Amino acid sequence: MEWLREQIYNNFIADNRWRYLTNGLKVTLEVTFFAVLIGIVLGLLVAVVRSTYAKTGKMKIGSFLCGIYITVIRGTPVVVQLLIIYFVVFGSVKIDKVFVAIMAFGLNSGAYVAEIFRSGIMSIDDGQFEAGRSLGFSYGKTMLYIIMPQAFKNVLPALGNEFIVLLKETSVAGYIALEDLTKGGDIIRSRTFSAFFPLLTVALIYLVMVTIFTKLVGILERRLRNSDH
Amino acid sequence: MTTNKGEVLIRTENLKKVFPGGLHALNGVSQEIRKGEVVVIVGPSGSGKSTFLRSLNLLEVPTEGHIYFDGTDLMGKDVDLDKHRQRMGMVFQHFNLFPHMTILKNMTLAPVKLQKRPKEEVEKQAMELLKRVGLEDRANAYPSQLSGGQKQRIAIVRALCMNPEVMLFDEPTSALDPEMVGEVLNVMKELANEHMTMVVVTHEMGFAREVADRVIFMADGQVQEENDPENFFEHPKSERLKTFLSKIIK
Repeated sequence: MEWLREQIYNNFIADNRWRYLTNGLKVTLEVTFFAVLIGIVLGLLVAVVRSTYAKTGKMKIGSFLCGIYITVIRGTPVVVQLLIIYFVVFGSVKIDKVFVAIMAFGLNSGAYVAEIFRSGIMSIDDGQFEAGRSLGFSYGKTMLYIIMPQAFKNVLPALGNEFIVLLKETSVAGYIALEDLTKGGDIIRSRTFSAFFPLLTVALIYLVMVTIFTKLVGILERRLRNSDH
Repeated sequence: MTTNKGEVLIRTENLKKVFPGGLHALNGVSQEIRKGEVVVIVGPSGSGKSTFLRSLNLLEVPTEGHIYFDGTDLMGKDVDLDKHRQRMGMVFQHFNLFPHMTILKNMTLAPVKLQKRPKEEVEKQAMELLKRVGLEDRANAYPSQLSGGQKQRIAIVRALCMNPEVMLFDEPTSALDPEMVGEVLNVMKELANEHMTMVVVTHEMGFAREVADRVIFMADGQVQEENDPENFFEHPKSERLKTFLSKIIK
């Protein structure tokens, strides 16, 4: 009992070490949140370009470039991408590490989100396109009002999963010495030489966040389903 | 017979369509559809009748030829196709209602977004149309809660909400259970009685006989024969039409 109290005191209370975790958590959430935003915008854009090419034959060059982007991003590890963006792209300028992480994870997530959205768009029956066009909607408006809302509902589980993966993936941000949640726990470990409590606490915090997020996606999914069928 | 109705609304000139696989779906179709006219197109499957119909609003882009709608060549380069499509309603074999919207929203979306009409006015019109087809109590239902016949009636009034000048029907009863065909045909008959210009691809010979001003027989991507319904069914000229009719009408 005495040992437990000492462990907790050493790892979390002394020198206000708990701050490594709360500050780290803030960074992790910040990076995840903005990376998700970039991922959605980028993914949506790429998906629309690619499926427009698949459906109409237009935007050939754009689709080709998007294809390269997806191949490169999905074909290389995210840690390598992170390092390249930090040490190569922004190598010669002093830059906020949080910003670099947001860019790297956003860019990475965009490729996966693009494929998720694309499969969603392609899964919608062509008759929906034709009905929209026959009423006089342009291609873009048909997408916006008719195809995307249905596609989004179809891909919501996959999308939720992608963001859970992203949240956990940001834990490699320590590679560029960004003090996120994982790094925070690791710093405590290096100070106190006890690995058990800091790392398990970190794991627990991730688990709680993922559980909450999974619940939220579930609620959203149920809502969308109720407004249909 | 009153085959000569109003002025020409749609005129096609030598329409040809070759699909990427090399299939010649249309081999030069030239037709005129007049205002207020009900034209029914029949023919064996693969005859090009659906392709022809879908060419009229360019859902299918012909390889060659011209389509004049109210004087404008829709095949022309700088044509605002979306504007013209707003004036042509279309009803599909598989209804194609928007599953994520209520019936009312299905009907009001295009008039509100495209014609910029006030929502209240469009909703009022939609409710009147729903009443006419006996579905006013389903305004807030979703398409999946309706039967096939109900869906198709909604699809018809959805198109009507745009106040189109012509209605195109692509086998509107082919995907329906037999007992639901009648309710859809009745709505179409009413529409014809109100002098809506209609082009209908169908296998319903009874409808063609009763409602059509002109019946067109297509095969091999060409119009083989056309006539008023009485002569079409009672005195077919070509052997092909005779064979076709003998197979269809028992």
